[in-house]
Amino acid sequence: MEQQSLARRLIAKPEFGPFVLLLVEIVVFTSINPNFLSPLNISNTLVFTVELGLIALAMTLLMTAGEFDLSVGAVFGFSPVVMWTLFNQGILPLELAFVAALLLAAFIGFISGLFVTRLKIPSFLVTLGMLLVVRGTALFVTDGFPQRTWNAGDQWLATVLVGDLNVGPFRLYMSLFWFILVAVIFWYILSQTKFGNWIQASGGNPGAASARGVNVGRTKLILFMLCSAMAALAGIISSIRTSAANPNSGTGYELEVIAMVVIGGTALMGGRGTIIGTVLGVFILRVMRNGIVLIGVPGLAYNIFIGAIILGMMALHYGLERRHQAGT
Amino acid sequence: MLKRVTGLLVGAAIALAVPLSSQAAAKTFYWISHGGPADPVWTYFLQGANQWAEDTGNTVNTSFHSGDVPSQQEAVRSAIATGADAIVTTSPDPGSMNDVVNEAKAAGIPVININTPDPSVDFDAYVGMDLVQTGKQWAQYLVDNGHVKEGDFVWMPVEIPGATYGVQEEEGIKTVFEPLGITWEVTEATLDQAEVITRMSDYVTANRDKISAIIGLGDLVTGSIKRVFDQTGVKPGEIPVVGWGNSLDTTQEVLTGYVNAAMWQDPHATSYIGLSLANMASSGIPAGFDVLVGNLYEKDGAQGVDDILSGN
Repeated sequence: MEQQSLARRLIAKPEFGPFVLLLVEIVVFTSINPNFLSPLNISNTLVFTVELGLIALAMTLLMTAGEFDLSVGAVFGFSPVVMWTLFNQGILPLELAFVAALLLAAFIGFISGLFVTRLKIPSFLVTLGMLLVVRGTALFVTDGFPQRTWNAGDQWLATVLVGDLNVGPFRLYMSLFWFILVAVIFWYILSQTKFGNWIQASGGNPGAASARGVNVGRTKLILFMLCSAMAALAGIISSIRTSAANPNSGTGYELEVIAMVVIGGTALMGGRGTIIGTVLGVFILRVMRNGIVLIGVPGLAYNIFIGAIILGMMALHYGLERRHQAGT
Repeated sequence: MLKRVTGLLVGAAIALAVPLSSQAAAKTFYWISHGGPADPVWTYFLQGANQWAEDTGNTVNTSFHSGDVPSQQEAVRSAIATGADAIVTTSPDPGSMNDVVNEAKAAGIPVININTPDPSVDFDAYVGMDLVQTGKQWAQYLVDNGHVKEGDFVWMPVEIPGATYGVQEEEGIKTVFEPLGITWEVTEATLDQAEVITRMSDYVTANRDKISAIIGLGDLVTGSIKRVFDQTGVKPGEIPVVGWGNSLDTTQEVLTGYVNAAMWQDPHATSYIGLSLANMASSGIPAGFDVLVGNLYEKDGAQGVDDILSGN
């Protein structure tokens, strides 16, 4: 009886659906190509996953509060350009350039937040405009030229952010540990703190939240800043790893990140969010992209399969979701 | 005293008249590209156009359209409407510039095609590479140097599948590989650097034993080879690679042995010569010939290209 209720409690969790999806993916891809679980492939899969994942974690909090940020991809490209420009031109040492880029990104989030909370413009429109402003600024500042990052290897900051280490047959990057750390902190904030309650209340019923003394505007403002800062951190990590700070980096990431969050079980319209679900969502999408290549889908048919699988996964996800809601 | 003042005034008038007359002679050209403003290669093309404007004192209005055909057509029509002296433009897709080029010619404005040839459109002249020939050269290089043989498989990543450059290059490659029974696959890598590396790494991980050689159909993919090989544990030279070589990433890859040979299209010169032909045509001297560029360099020639790209 107790076992039954434990199983029921597990199934009732919003993360159950994404967990099943991830499991299905792993089983299917491994059965078609056993190399899917090879240390080399797992190491490669983890690298890019966590860079997008950092943004997805912050986006989870923002979406739980009922808002979007479509400018994260542009900030992802812009921030490394700022950091490397300041460093390459000898204006600031790398550490200060890093801090300056993060602060600038937080300021971008602050401006977006002000437009949304003070002028009451939907975040979809505000951040779409901000996307163009930030992307355009990156292009204008650089004349379209990527910033060189080759001398990053000698910097301790680069080692701290993306240094790699071998754990048995696995090659792991430091960014994975940052991702885990941020996921734990955000999980704690969202589920164990008063601020987490404010986030959920702001997205669920902002009117009622305000009436109960929650400063909805300030909560959202902080989350916009956090989201931008995390996009900047992810962009900087990516720029060091790929040895390239292109002003057009991150194009289209905003949609992929939102897909990760939604697949993970966070409500698209706000009010309910799950960090564990987002972690699963991040892996679901990344594993899918990796697995499609590994099972030998023809190169030019790649997008057909990705699109079809996303549709299938969403159908399965919402099916499980409805079932779980009916059972609770 | 009066003579001195008169002399001074005459001198001043002459001094002013010289720039005024040269200003009056200055022409306005439009340089319209299907490339992306953040594409490293296109920034070199742009530099060539800006250098030409600086050297000649003419005005060159430049714009990028990132593969957006209607936007590029609109830009050409704007140039026609403003009475441009000549237009230098690219071909985003075969035949896509046909109507606007005809409209420009009807308005008496010469149009020079750069970067990607399009014989289906009535351009005044073409400056750039013969991409079919380029593909053929890459394939022939791999065959002649014993890197691939009958029954082998060659992987060909490209940023945007279906774009003119990749299609024409594949056409040339096919003429060499098909009779030899060599098979190949084109895969999409996108224009995003991190995504390029990720997708290429996934492919190498999945197909490492199968790949006999790689042909990078674009600059971004060829310039990512080192990072992909490093990530997937492939040693330089283990898988032979040829492709584009218009970026510092690739010159370094050739110098360090990751890429065997790379094609240099001299983007600065392509823009510069394209605008020179446009200027000539606008002065009534028809540009009834094409100018072909391109040079496949190996390790011994890589430093020269690297110096040009570094501005040394």
